[in-house]
Amino acid sequence: MSRLHYSYHMQLSFESPVKEHYFKLRCFPSSDERQKISGEHIKIFPAHFSNSERDSFGNMCIYGTALQTHSRFSVDVSGTAEINALFNVKADTNRIPVFKYETKLTTAGANIRAFHRTFPPLSYMTFYERAVFMMERLFEEFYYMPGKTGVFTTAEEAFSLGCGVCQDYAQILLTLCRIDRIPCRYVTGMIPGEGATHAWTEIYSPESSEWIAIDPTHNRKCDGTYIKISSGRDSQDCAINQGVFTGGGRQSQEIKVIVAEAF
Amino acid sequence: MEISIENSNRLLWLGRYSERVYTTLKFFADQFDAMIDGGKELYGGYTSRGDFAKKYCFDESNSSSVSFGLMRAYDNAIELRREIGSDAFSYIQMAVYEMSQAEKSEAPLLALQKVVDDIAAFWGIADDAIDDEKIRSIIKLGKRLERVDLYARLKAPDGLIRREILRLSSRLPKTGLKYHSEPLEKLLELANEEKINHQAVINEAEKILDTSIDRKL
Amino acid sequence: MTLAEDELYKHSDSVNEQLARYGVKFGIYKNGVFHEQLFPFDVIPRVIEHDEFAYLERGLKQRVKALNEFITDIYSDKKIIKDGVIAEEFVYSGSGWLIQCDGVKPPKGIYAHISGIDLVQGKDGSWYVLEDNLRIPSGASYPMTARYICRNSFPAVFERYHIENNRNYAELLSNTMEYVNTGGRSVILTPGRYNAAYFEHSYFAEQTEAPLVAGNDLIVENEHLFFIDYSGKKERVGTVYRRISDEYLDPVNFNRESLIGVPHIFDIYKKGNVALVNAPGNGVADDKGIYYFVPAMVKYYLGEEPILQNAPTYLPFYEKDMKYVLENFDRLVIKDVAEAGGYGVVFASKLTGEKKSEFIAMLKAEPRRFIAQEVIDFLDIDIYEDGKPVPRKADLRAFVLMAEEPIVWKSGLTRFSRRVDSFIVNSSQGGGFKDTWVMAE
Repeated sequence: MSRLHYSYHMQLSFESPVKEHYFKLRCFPSSDERQKISGEHIKIFPAHFSNSERDSFGNMCIYGTALQTHSRFSVDVSGTAEINALFNVKADTNRIPVFKYETKLTTAGANIRAFHRTFPPLSYMTFYERAVFMMERLFEEFYYMPGKTGVFTTAEEAFSLGCGVCQDYAQILLTLCRIDRIPCRYVTGMIPGEGATHAWTEIYSPESSEWIAIDPTHNRKCDGTYIKISSGRDSQDCAINQGVFTGGGRQSQEIKVIVAEAF
Repeated sequence: MEISIENSNRLLWLGRYSERVYTTLKFFADQFDAMIDGGKELYGGYTSRGDFAKKYCFDESNSSSVSFGLMRAYDNAIELRREIGSDAFSYIQMAVYEMSQAEKSEAPLLALQKVVDDIAAFWGIADDAIDDEKIRSIIKLGKRLERVDLYARLKAPDGLIRREILRLSSRLPKTGLKYHSEPLEKLLELANEEKINHQAVINEAEKILDTSIDRKL
Repeated sequence: MTLAEDELYKHSDSVNEQLARYGVKFGIYKNGVFHEQLFPFDVIPRVIEHDEFAYLERGLKQRVKALNEFITDIYSDKKIIKDGVIAEEFVYSGSGWLIQCDGVKPPKGIYAHISGIDLVQGKDGSWYVLEDNLRIPSGASYPMTARYICRNSFPAVFERYHIENNRNYAELLSNTMEYVNTGGRSVILTPGRYNAAYFEHSYFAEQTEAPLVAGNDLIVENEHLFFIDYSGKKERVGTVYRRISDEYLDPVNFNRESLIGVPHIFDIYKKGNVALVNAPGNGVADDKGIYYFVPAMVKYYLGEEPILQNAPTYLPFYEKDMKYVLENFDRLVIKDVAEAGGYGVVFASKLTGEKKSEFIAMLKAEPRRFIAQEVIDFLDIDIYEDGKPVPRKADLRAFVLMAEEPIVWKSGLTRFSRRVDSFIVNSSQGGGFKDTWVMAE
């Protein structure tokens, strides 16, 4: 059991002021079987009004509107997460099949398929064992290198480049799992230190009807230091912010995540 | 009937463009007639009567041609089927058709008469069949605004311009549109002056409507 | 029934002139340039006898009920998949399935408010359903306007025959919008005048008096949707009959590039604060692959034998069907499930040599992408051309509107191909239309 304090800060700066800004944010950790969130504090500025809802994956979202002219838009979320890594997240079995099929970002192309063909057949392995096996192979094959890939890079594109960041590791692993029709999902979250958000995967275990979290970027099972924010079929489903506005010219985004042990 | 911001604007421009087509065609008819027995000095920049007809009436790429104005009237009307009704719309549609026929005709004046007829019929039916006073009034306001502008540009007799300014000012409050009273007052003062100052009339008329409302706040 | 056809022929040109006068058109892009095109009207109606239509009516109601049950199930318990009636691949990897709608219940449980079911009649007189159109089917406005004009043009014909009135479509549409209304006005949301069916959008707005709005005329404030009047007044909206596809409906929930949608409309729809007609995600049921399973749905959900039959269809996805398709390839028509509007349709007999082997290779590589159907020998119907009647292929789009119960509009859009022997009747490919007369007795 670990207790972590987290803070997430995101700021959009617009070169010229914008108005009629409609946003939908997905950056709020929720309590589940694995993590308990307390003392949550949320600040969104500016916001003419805002409301919350859960999306079809059960992720907590806040949507709203900032009508008046503004040059900056910021979100601050903080709280404490108590994590028990002995537990896994329970699966809603009704929703499992959705996670078996490829999405635009997780469609296997020639290179990922060829890589997958080098693996022995699936037999005698549980989904989880198979996923861990593929994670290990991917870890040998793929290198961590920021700046080569972007938010909309597909798994196939990233794999063909041979390097990328956590989003790419996660989406390539999902693509591999989906070739075997293993239900799996993309997770956005936070890990200790200072920096950006992190991404990993969850693999469905039909034996226990649970989601087991593994981190392909670090080639390991997720321990008690992983705070989950959201999950979905791919990174698009977990987009932290989907917003539209009028005006603006160029914009820049600043994200700062701090996670530290709470005493 | 509820009218969206966009459609209130379209109604206004439908009025303006239909008026522009009507008045510029009348002006065209007078000029064309004079050219028949007048000398080349009446041709202005045009090489022949045919050239005049082609450029002044039918050149859609020229934003001061009749045809351009008619197409803009059509662009607005097509989005106002609910507000003005299919019957009123059909006259604008027919005017577009007659315009394309006139372009092919050797006696464009005769064929263009049908365009004038259609516009007149459009106004008639708009006046008669549109029950909603605001809708009717906005179209009419467009027509008045355009007429003040055109008459001033064409330097029509002062009496005509005065009459149109008065009609404009009495129509304005019935439209529900936001407007500035200062330029309106100035316009009425200009109408009272002994000699009409055309440029001042044009300038003030354009300033009357308040287009700056931010509807969402 | 034989018609006094000369009486109709006489007025062929004047009816078309009237349609032009009222701007009865559809939009089409040619080489990237938008054109408004007249939709050629043929004066000879398709006549459906009273009893025959009664049969179609029963079948259509049954079919739409089953489709609605299916969509409800797919976005909640997914029983039909668990019970093995439908292969899950056809649901989850189809283009119609929208994850955002999973678990969302629309007002009054209706997903398919306005359905356009495409039927054809074979030479033996039997009817086949070719396609279910549940997303934003269009076309009802054309026979509706044509009827007004025809009645004016040949009143004696309408006096002589007892034909069901089809000018009540607007009333049916208003009822459908009102039935699901969550409080407030009903509006029609259009992508704008450069949409193929813009005439229809504006015509329905005139006929139902519902404001025709663009995305920008609406705003979500807190948990509700409002129409903004030019005076700045905001009025609640309870139903949006949207003629915008799901993808462009809401930029913060679907395609963020969309400029024609309404931000947050989907968020409040999920909360039951506005009805969207038709409901987002209902395309899961009109996918060409899902079509194969509709007769099975009727049995599964309603416990009834399907009244209307599908054209004989095969799914190469199933080994047994693949075998059949390969053995009988030359006489089948193959359709790409992702395409619509008469595109992506291949008559296998027309493929030869390399093209054919390429196509078969593609079919084998992506069996899920295709369906194969027997070519139905259509019953030709006459059109009036160059002073005489000539036979042409035609289909029928029947409209079913759902309020408390499904109602079948007693008419329909009959589209015909103007080329001899062409099976493709879509307006975007140069076809024309007819009125459809349903006899009252």
